[in-house]
Amino acid sequence: MRPWPRAGGRSRRSRPSLRTRTALTFGLGAALVSTAVALITYALADHELLSQRQNSSLRQTYVDARLFKEELASPEARLEDVLSSLARANGVQVLVNRDRLWFSTSALVGSASLPASLVSAVLAGHPADQRIYLQGMPAFAVGIPIPSVNAYYFEIHSLAELRSTLETLAIVLAAAAAAATVGGTLLGLGASRRLVRPLAATARVAGEIAAGRLDQRLPPDADLGPLVDAFNDMVARLQERIERDARFAADLSHELRSPLTTVGASVELVDAYRQALPADGRTAVDLLKAEIDRFSDMVQDLLEISRVDAGAEPVELDPVLIGELVEHTAAAHPSPVAVRVQPAAAGSVVLGDKRRLQRVLVNLLDNAQVHAGGSSLVWVDRRDGAVEIAVEDHGPGVDPAEAELIFERFYRGKAAGRRSAVAGSGLGLALVAEHVRAHQGSVRVEPAPGGGSRFVVTLPVVTQ
Amino acid sequence: MAPLILFIEDDERIRTVLSLSLQRDGFAVAEAGSGEEGLAAFEARPPDVVLVDLRLPGIDGFEVTRALRRASNVPIIIVTAHGDSHDVVAGLEAGADDYVVKPVVAKVLAARVRALLRRVSVGEQTTTVVRVGDLEIHREANVVVRDGIELPLTRTEYKVLCALAEHPGWVLTRTQLLEQVWEYDYFGDERLVDTHIGRLRSKVERDPSKPELIVTVRGAGYKLAT
Repeated sequence: MRPWPRAGGRSRRSRPSLRTRTALTFGLGAALVSTAVALITYALADHELLSQRQNSSLRQTYVDARLFKEELASPEARLEDVLSSLARANGVQVLVNRDRLWFSTSALVGSASLPASLVSAVLAGHPADQRIYLQGMPAFAVGIPIPSVNAYYFEIHSLAELRSTLETLAIVLAAAAAAATVGGTLLGLGASRRLVRPLAATARVAGEIAAGRLDQRLPPDADLGPLVDAFNDMVARLQERIERDARFAADLSHELRSPLTTVGASVELVDAYRQALPADGRTAVDLLKAEIDRFSDMVQDLLEISRVDAGAEPVELDPVLIGELVEHTAAAHPSPVAVRVQPAAAGSVVLGDKRRLQRVLVNLLDNAQVHAGGSSLVWVDRRDGAVEIAVEDHGPGVDPAEAELIFERFYRGKAAGRRSAVAGSGLGLALVAEHVRAHQGSVRVEPAPGGGSRFVVTLPVVTQ
Repeated sequence: MAPLILFIEDDERIRTVLSLSLQRDGFAVAEAGSGEEGLAAFEARPPDVVLVDLRLPGIDGFEVTRALRRASNVPIIIVTAHGDSHDVVAGLEAGADDYVVKPVVAKVLAARVRALLRRVSVGEQTTTVVRVGDLEIHREANVVVRDGIELPLTRTEYKVLCALAEHPGWVLTRTQLLEQVWEYDYFGDERLVDTHIGRLRSKVERDPSKPELIVTVRGAGYKLAT
């Protein structure tokens, strides 16, 4: 049996497939880029919005401070009243320090809310501002000294709103980055599928070629141009070579058929006059006849196997009652053998080529004849939706180490070093394997119960 | 008188030895080394059976078969080196009755010739004229007549028709036809049956593309419509 590489099958993988890797690469790339973009966007937005907000807060504080100063300038004004009358924008707290006393618009906000450095700078007569946290929320504190009314005016602007805006932005950006990652992965999957498609096609075609359909070629492909050309070129050469080899064997055996006809018919004719021959002459004729038969079989087998190789052997698949075929074949064989068709297999129909199935059984019977002095039993049985045809013998059996090898062409087992008087062509079992394979079946050899060997052919059964 | 075989074969050695064997088996043999010679020999002395090699220089075996078939209903056996190839089907379609594959075994060849020459036994049937559709099979004269005109069936085609007519309406498998008509065993080539059925239809069917008389029973065989 030829160990064809299983091009159509899956090879063992030690790392993820190209498709997975491509998809992951695309996904990772998309994740990196989108995350970077999101982070930069967030940083820029954060910075921009914050500085805008701080500037506006600063301006508002100055406006408010001037208003406060004007209100407080009137002699009858009380600071508490002025403070509470100040129209304050939402989220703005006002603190005033006058005569070392603190006044606040809110009970929740006191001098402790302001950082000491800011307070001391303002109390020293310098306007100052600083980002702070007020009750855990970001805020912006501004302090302005108002010497004309002997007061220090502070405002705390909450930045909570800004923060929630930024939080929303962050969520949106994160979602966008995630979407980009998923999109990138999908894109990678799609791209890799496109990328792998010609490779899948190549694998499929290679598989078909391995299966013997040598006329298969890859279609032209813009991306894989040189590969396709090289592949097709290789297959063409391979086909040429195989066909040349097969043709050579076929031509050779074909050419041998005419002389074989002459020689065979001549010996038959001589044999017809054997009574006129002396004893040694008769022996010579018998030897000649036996050798011509063998030679004829060999030429037949060689032609047959070369036709199989060339793919020229037509497989005409017709429904065949397998039990009947086995019985007829065994009955026609020169050495008698018992046939047992189990009831389960009696009506089993195989889709096959009658002549080739006959050859399978004849070759197995011949093999038993040559190596075991004939088959002891042939049986047919059903098993798991298939039919099994077994040829058993009481011969020396087959060494398990040789169980595969004996189906190779011209394989001569260790035990068969000597040539018996009825040696085969050396192709019989190889042809069995080829024919069985052509029927989607299999053949194996195993020890028979009670010694000897058992060749089992398994063929798929037609379900009706 | 010994049946005469015309043996058309370009390989002189094969021709010589097979002629000797056939003569030993009781046949008279006329030899021809080419298609042209063969056709001339056929004209000169009509044989009972023609044996023709398919691969001949000049007019090849297919041409010879076609030419002979146009002129006569003589049984023809083709000799081919390719038993599995399309040669066999092409030869049968050209009009051959049977074929043998090289290396030819003389005994097998003689048996084939005898099977072809065997006449249809009238058997125990009491009627000598069997009516099938619009056909009349005259069993004693071995002819088939339609509308008073004799149809030009070869002996093998006639045998196929008779085998089917024996049990009208019953299905005959290809194996059964091979046994009855060609005397082959279970492993006879079913292509013989199919090509002959095709040729027979072209002669007995009103419309051979829509056979009404010889009906194919899928997966089983053929039967004669009743």
